[in-house]
Amino acid sequence: MVASILIAPTEDRRGGTTAPDPVHRPDGRHHMMAGARAMAPWLLGVAPFGLVIGVSAVRADIPTLAGWLTGPLIFGGSAQVATIQLLDSGAAPAVAIVAGLAVNLRLVLYSATMARHWQGTPRWWQALAAALLIDPSLAVGADGYRRAATPRHGHLHYMGGAVALLATWLAAITVGATLGTALPDALQLELVIPLFLVGEIVPRLTDRATRRGVGVAVALGALGTWVPLHLGVLLAIGAGLVAALVPTGTGATADVEVGESDR
Amino acid sequence: MSAWIVVAAVGAGSYLFRISMLVVAARVGLPPVVERAAGHAVPVSFAALAAAALAEHVAAAGALIAPAGAVAVAVVAVRRTGSPPMALAAGMPTLWLLTAVLPT
Repeated sequence: MVASILIAPTEDRRGGTTAPDPVHRPDGRHHMMAGARAMAPWLLGVAPFGLVIGVSAVRADIPTLAGWLTGPLIFGGSAQVATIQLLDSGAAPAVAIVAGLAVNLRLVLYSATMARHWQGTPRWWQALAAALLIDPSLAVGADGYRRAATPRHGHLHYMGGAVALLATWLAAITVGATLGTALPDALQLELVIPLFLVGEIVPRLTDRATRRGVGVAVALGALGTWVPLHLGVLLAIGAGLVAALVPTGTGATADVEVGESDR
Repeated sequence: MSAWIVVAAVGAGSYLFRISMLVVAARVGLPPVVERAAGHAVPVSFAALAAAALAEHVAAAGALIAPAGAVAVAVVAVRRTGSPPMALAAGMPTLWLLTAVLPT
């Protein structure tokens, strides 16, 4: 049903865009399904995380529906956890808002990453695609654009993966909010996401600048848990990016190859 | 009432973040430094998120060796196979095993 309403824009280099192509065209469906398949390993990681968030939404001292709505509205696990936890602890609304937004501030960077791929697409498509932008869709989407023969194929690949992610995320939160209290703590499902992120990082350590940035981000990310309002992650990302961008003088050739490490 | 307002505000703000650079890029183009930073966004952001989550888990659970061992095994598994999902396939069983055999 979703596929029947999603369409990918066709870019017209002579000026603007032409009429969109329905995804029910065989090649359109093929690229969307490829995106969904590429998202599958991520879904194994985000589904337990969604379950945990669903459980926390039920246990928190907030309306269950408000907790569930963090899924479609915020659409970012870490920011959802921060928001729910702070509301549950009785924090002032302004504090909860600032903390949730601080965790999601990295989305500005993700927006910049995808802007180069989405330039020239219709605004409605950008609005829709941006709403689905989060860590897994960024990773799958960036990889799809690298492999795609045309921008349109990349758009379809991104959308296929992002829709699969959204559907799974909302389903997992819903299941967690209804049945998830039965999940044993011994499974330590809270470590599913960090371990999966490790898996996404390792293949990207292809140049010295990226390794330097990742090293700084890991060190400050681990040390920054004491920073209030969950700002430690944001500081770690900022410092990591600075470390990756600052030339060291030696190995300058390797450092030049930036802009490729999101592969 | 405040919970609804907070969720709506964080959701709206997050969406503005998501669309922000698309608007900027359409009007003035992205500054070169932002373009370069965007190239490192995935590994650096994921590293910070993973490290913070692991540190929080260690602080809450009071156990360092099991999660550290799981991460080490995950890194080796991905390096050897080149497959990101191997981090989970190797890391989680290692975590459960170490948690079961190590004294708390």
